[in-house]
Amino acid sequence: MTTYVGSRVPRVDSVDKVTGHAIYGVDVALPGMLHGAVVRSPYPHARIVAIDTSAAEKAPGVKAVVTGKDFPHLFGAAIKDQPFLAIDRVRYVGDPVVAVAATSEREAQYARDLVRVEYEQLPAITDMRLALADDAPLVHPDMHTYERGGHEIIPHTNCNTLYRYQRGDVEAAFAEADLVVEGEYSAHAVSHVALEVHVAVAQYDQFSGDYTLWVTTDRPFFLRDDLAGGLGVDGSKVRLKVAQVGGSFGAKGVPIAEAIAAVLARNTDGRPVKVELTREECLIASQLRVPAIMKLKTGVNKDGFMIARSADVLWDSGAYTAYTVGVAIRGSQTIVGPYRIPNLRILSRQVYTNKAITGSYRGYGTTQVTWACESQMDEIARELGIDPVEFRLQNGYEEGDSYLNGQIMHGVGLRETIETARDEIGWGSVDRAPAPHLRRGKGIATMIKPTMTPSSSNVVINLGEDARVQVVCAAPEIGSGQDTVLAQMAADAVGVPLDDVSVPATDTALTPYNGPVASSRTTYHMGNAIVSAGNEIKGKILELAGKTFGVDPDYLEMRDGEIFDGEGELLVTLKNLLARYHGEGLSLTAGGRYTSAQSQLLKANPGEEWISSIFWMLCTQAAEIEVDTETGVIRVIKVAASADVGKAINPLTCEQQIEGGVVMGLSNGILEDFKISNGRIENGTLADYKVATIQDMPEIVPILVESVHNEAPFGAKGIGEPAAAATPPAIANALFDAVGIRITDLPITPEKVLAALSEKKEAEPGD
Amino acid sequence: MTIHLESTINGRSVGINVDPTLTLLEVLRENLFLIGTKEGCGVGECGTCVVLLDGTPVTSCLVLAGDADGRDVETVEGLAPDGELNEVQQAFVKSGAFQCGFCTPAMVLSATALLRRNSSPNEEEMKQALGGILCRCGAYPKILEAIIAATGEGA
Ligand code: FES
Ligand code: FES
Repeated sequence: MTTYVGSRVPRVDSVDKVTGHAIYGVDVALPGMLHGAVVRSPYPHARIVAIDTSAAEKAPGVKAVVTGKDFPHLFGAAIKDQPFLAIDRVRYVGDPVVAVAATSEREAQYARDLVRVEYEQLPAITDMRLALADDAPLVHPDMHTYERGGHEIIPHTNCNTLYRYQRGDVEAAFAEADLVVEGEYSAHAVSHVALEVHVAVAQYDQFSGDYTLWVTTDRPFFLRDDLAGGLGVDGSKVRLKVAQVGGSFGAKGVPIAEAIAAVLARNTDGRPVKVELTREECLIASQLRVPAIMKLKTGVNKDGFMIARSADVLWDSGAYTAYTVGVAIRGSQTIVGPYRIPNLRILSRQVYTNKAITGSYRGYGTTQVTWACESQMDEIARELGIDPVEFRLQNGYEEGDSYLNGQIMHGVGLRETIETARDEIGWGSVDRAPAPHLRRGKGIATMIKPTMTPSSSNVVINLGEDARVQVVCAAPEIGSGQDTVLAQMAADAVGVPLDDVSVPATDTALTPYNGPVASSRTTYHMGNAIVSAGNEIKGKILELAGKTFGVDPDYLEMRDGEIFDGEGELLVTLKNLLARYHGEGLSLTAGGRYTSAQSQLLKANPGEEWISSIFWMLCTQAAEIEVDTETGVIRVIKVAASADVGKAINPLTCEQQIEGGVVMGLSNGILEDFKISNGRIENGTLADYKVATIQDMPEIVPILVESVHNEAPFGAKGIGEPAAAATPPAIANALFDAVGIRITDLPITPEKVLAALSEKKEAEPGD
Repeated sequence: MTIHLESTINGRSVGINVDPTLTLLEVLRENLFLIGTKEGCGVGECGTCVVLLDGTPVTSCLVLAGDADGRDVETVEGLAPDGELNEVQQAFVKSGAFQCGFCTPAMVLSATALLRRNSSPNEEEMKQALGGILCRCGAYPKILEAIIAATGEGA
């Protein structure tokens, strides 16, 4: 029985956020704080010939000027390929070259403009399709010498990731298939546009050599290690204190402002330095979604069963790999979709280009491959003359099916997500002509995503003598309602009122190790750790109550701060029990740890266990749209978004994630469009790079499917990422339904719609 | 060089000498420590810096501090003066009309200004009033729900 889990309690950060009291990274200010500014490369690819900082150093208020030579270390998640400041060459427009700290932001910017950098331009590679050509200029000629993990690369080329997967005999199955559908799909670079810019404050202690940073991040321990790598120090020398995060969506995991602040702080005699990027810097020189070009070929038999699929995926990491290697590997596996296909072949290659860095973006590759997979699913269904919903149901994973690596899948509510989305949108009925130039249509798309596996979460729960509970863990609130959900689980696990539970801010020197707040993993992993620590604390309290009242603790129960005897009668409140020990003071602490590494659920074909996922995210969306055939403008009318959450710890926060995901998916899919020429982003402003406003919002109906997962805390899985992935293909499929055109390259802009409409008209003049 | 400002800020008269090149946003955040007002772009494109100037929402990053002289400025800090959330704030809490919360001060202020001006706006009017404020978390559906609830229609 739970008191808080499963209920729609208001978020614990409500008052702080509606009153403006929450302290974000941008709000952090320390005594004596300096401000930083960055000189960035104006060229996509160039050799640094000389840097003259003399005028900048003499400028008013300047306390430090730092260049790449001062920190000749490389960092990176899978390939250590990136310095904090360019060392001898710049690799994209916006690559940081020199950092300046001064007593005010204006002085720092003034001095920055006095720095003279002499460049020798180099041939640039700015189109991923050309990056593997024999004569392509190399972005990292020394790639083969970089320290890296176990993945494959193609040395002396731009290919920084090579991954292949094969099962069965794809060619034989294509030959046997009744229908083979082939297509090429592309997903573009989009920006996270977290409304809080990249920001950090850093301070250096000359005596201990320790760096302390006040940051806004979703992955404190990963960020700490990247920072240590770039600074050339041990991880123990870097401490991160995490403020409220004004949105991340995967953006705030690699050192960006943090790197600049830290290198400056090393040179200011202990004065803290704040670095706050401008919005333009965030758009052109922070991190984007990895663009992908996906060739997909699928064979089906006439009964509508998929028998073979081959995929050839090309990813563009931009100038440095950051978190993209995992995207290129895990993402490409997901191009199979949530479907049983016996014969498979995947080739995934990722290339460097002289463009902005890319990386993790809500879905970690899933949004790109879902676009290809779900667009093609629709094409196949239509060619076969099968209803797209039925086609998905017929091929979709069910509980107990085996995944690519033979893992037996558990907690698979796919069918119910498809059926509920279908019913909510009113599948099969469409008002096709509200006006002669307006046409309506409906489309459906689904998705699957694994979570980072294996990974672990640790927590320390403390019950103080005031009966208040602190959930000490490194899981920053990035906006997803995480604090609330963790507090709810802790309140029930310990048996105390939710109001008495707090989740203190993350501090890597105090909070135990946690994997990232990414991959929708926190509720599941940290939840399990909390349940274990919370139960231990509860056990200790019941023991104390038993001893105090001379009863057997096994018959006692604690709920909501009250302890009940075997008859269900109130024995004592927790507060009164603790008051009896007030003189000596009492503080109970328990640690909880969860790692998925040992789980039996991960069993798979020998050697392929790493492909397993401890749980699966599944989300189906059905969209109704209206397209204006004169302007090409799409209006999304309604989206029914059904997600399998395992168990909703808090239906309110689950709905928030789904609604927010749909808004982001819509925005990515039909509005956001970088104009990039020769590697240079030409529209690095929010006036020119359009992001959805409340006026673009369709009616969104979130639907929560609960396919309880046995190893999950209260049955709960994750929900942060899935909702953003299915929206663009659902819209594209609805567009086909409305007017019979198919856009395969994102975004779906009015220009593309008009071009496709006129092409269609020419092809069938009688229509 | 500085100029002298005499404004009413959250109901209190404030006199202050400031650099005339500063924006109202900078003065609020850096001189008066009213950090509830956020900066998302600094160039008038995101709406997170909205404050009420004589009751009307303005993007404070585009207003020079001098232009606030003699006028009435309201920031999010002024909405719950005695620790009592106003109706819009209460509705935001109840509906869960925020996620990261970075746009929330601007959203709450704009919605409050709208409802003062028009106690029963329709949905189009609500969307129009908030159309200039980005919420990347996509809290829009619940923001709309909250404003409807705050009009008393949502009950
Ligand atoms: S900060 Fe003023 S509009 Fe963005
Ligand atoms: S709640 Fe995050 S930007 Fe609106």
